[in-house]
Amino acid sequence: MIRAICAIVYLDLKRAWLDRARLIAGLAQPLLYLFVLGAGIGGISRLGGGGYSRYIFPGVLGLSLLFSATFAAIVIVFDRQIGFFKAVLVAPIPRAAIAFGKITSGALQAFVQALIILPFAPLAGVSLDFGTVLELIGTMLLSAFVFSAMGVAVAARFTSTTVFPVVSNAVLLPMFFLSGALYPLGNAPHWIQVATYFDPVAYAVDLMRGAVLGRYFFPPGFSVAVLVLLIGALAWAAVGVFKRGEDDSSLGATQFRWRR
Amino acid sequence: MEVSGLVKRYGAVEALRGIDLTVQRGEIFALLGPNGAGKTTLFSILATLRAPTAGTARVLGYDVVSERNAVRRAMGIVFQEPAIERRLSGRDNLLLMGLFFGLPVSTARRRAAELLESLGLSEAGDRPAEKLSGGQRRKLELARSLVTDPAILFLDEATLGLDVDARRVFWSHIRSLAESGRTVFFTTHYMEEAEVADRIALIDAGRIVAVDTPRALKARLGGGVVRLQTADDAEARAWLGRRGLTCEGKGAEIMFTHPDPAAILPELLRDLPVKVERVEVHAPSLEDVFLGLTGRGLAGNEPVPSERAGPPQGAQP
Repeated sequence: MIRAICAIVYLDLKRAWLDRARLIAGLAQPLLYLFVLGAGIGGISRLGGGGYSRYIFPGVLGLSLLFSATFAAIVIVFDRQIGFFKAVLVAPIPRAAIAFGKITSGALQAFVQALIILPFAPLAGVSLDFGTVLELIGTMLLSAFVFSAMGVAVAARFTSTTVFPVVSNAVLLPMFFLSGALYPLGNAPHWIQVATYFDPVAYAVDLMRGAVLGRYFFPPGFSVAVLVLLIGALAWAAVGVFKRGEDDSSLGATQFRWRR
Repeated sequence: MEVSGLVKRYGAVEALRGIDLTVQRGEIFALLGPNGAGKTTLFSILATLRAPTAGTARVLGYDVVSERNAVRRAMGIVFQEPAIERRLSGRDNLLLMGLFFGLPVSTARRRAAELLESLGLSEAGDRPAEKLSGGQRRKLELARSLVTDPAILFLDEATLGLDVDARRVFWSHIRSLAESGRTVFFTTHYMEEAEVADRIALIDAGRIVAVDTPRALKARLGGGVVRLQTADDAEARAWLGRRGLTCEGKGAEIMFTHPDPAAILPELLRDLPVKVERVEVHAPSLEDVFLGLTGRGLAGNEPVPSERAGPPQGAQP
């Protein structure tokens, strides 16, 4: 089981390395938020006490983690139709190993993507001392696993890769906006504050913002507990995705044509 | 491999309508039929990729539903679609597959090297899979399915899109695998591929219409097949019918079988009241057998001709 998980992670990381240009391209969106939106709104906002860029920096890390983890999960949809993964699915590997392997590899990819944004922190006015970095990295790892598990549990259920833009606009962006990544939740209307409790991204962003600004919306211990519980629940759901593949899956069945 | 009463329904569509089949250990067994006949469905059920609606199937004594993992441990599979990682080298693909099946790294590495060697891919194996030729890629798929040294090999239209030479090489590998005691079960709609099989099951509209050796299947038609093109096919058909010859096929060709075509042709050609433009006599192919049994060719989805041919009879000129 451990060997199978390692093999899945190794395969995915190797592929990600071949695709390393994507890491650079993946920087575009976060940096756009950070330096264009940040600078633009920074002119009229006093949030963060040192420029708006500084305020949204944790949110941008969250954005990057969320999108890269979901993208890694969407690749599964493609893989199970044509690709190596198809052969993996018919191997006598416990379905849990496949799910955990995919969650781990997605989390690592998202984590690395977010990690390369970290050096931009000083440019956004965030001073990185050792404690801050440690706290940020810890939260990044934790939330990378949450988002990856979420991606595998939800996104990998789709049978077509064309849903990614839809998911991205209809699910990810609302989660991102409701998370308080771009504005303080304390001043937000009541309904947003309520909705936020149901948004995993909010806990991740709040923990990272706490690391940078020292102010939390949720109690930090509560956030960590929620995230850890979410990993458990979502991982369990993710195993189900690959169990479902056992019967009438897209496996080999995609080609089914009945013409008579 | 034992299959009995297998039924698969997709909603209202009955893809398999009761399949019974036995395949012996070490046999090369072909499933031949047109698109939509149920080949892939039957294949998927046997290879544990789908569950049947009714009936049972056992592979190497294991039930394909309740003992799915035991079947999977013992089988290798080559899909119609590629199932290798295109950007990794062949060697890495095989290595990873070994790891997925729980082999230790050193064993997996050795196994990959052996397989590449035996399939003549030693050099090509270090290039990314996408840089290989179609034939090499298919051989790599085969190698991938062999990583675990399976007792039974499932091939689903494994040579689709390959040229004749590459197909020949591929099948010579399959034959030598069968000689080493493996069971090979494959689907195809190329007749000449089915000929390498020890036995063939002809499948049409979700039913097995015949199971036999290629030779015995062809002998069912007996004698030879005569194909005629004439200036007036309808007239010629009618005339042949009066002579007791049942014509099959349709359109621009008349086809009938006869136990000894060489003996009747000279007289036939002399007496036929319409101008004959072309005559062909050949031993029956599997296509002819299929046509004889179902009234349809293998390639197409032509409707059943209304003047559907009955079973071949010994006709008297």
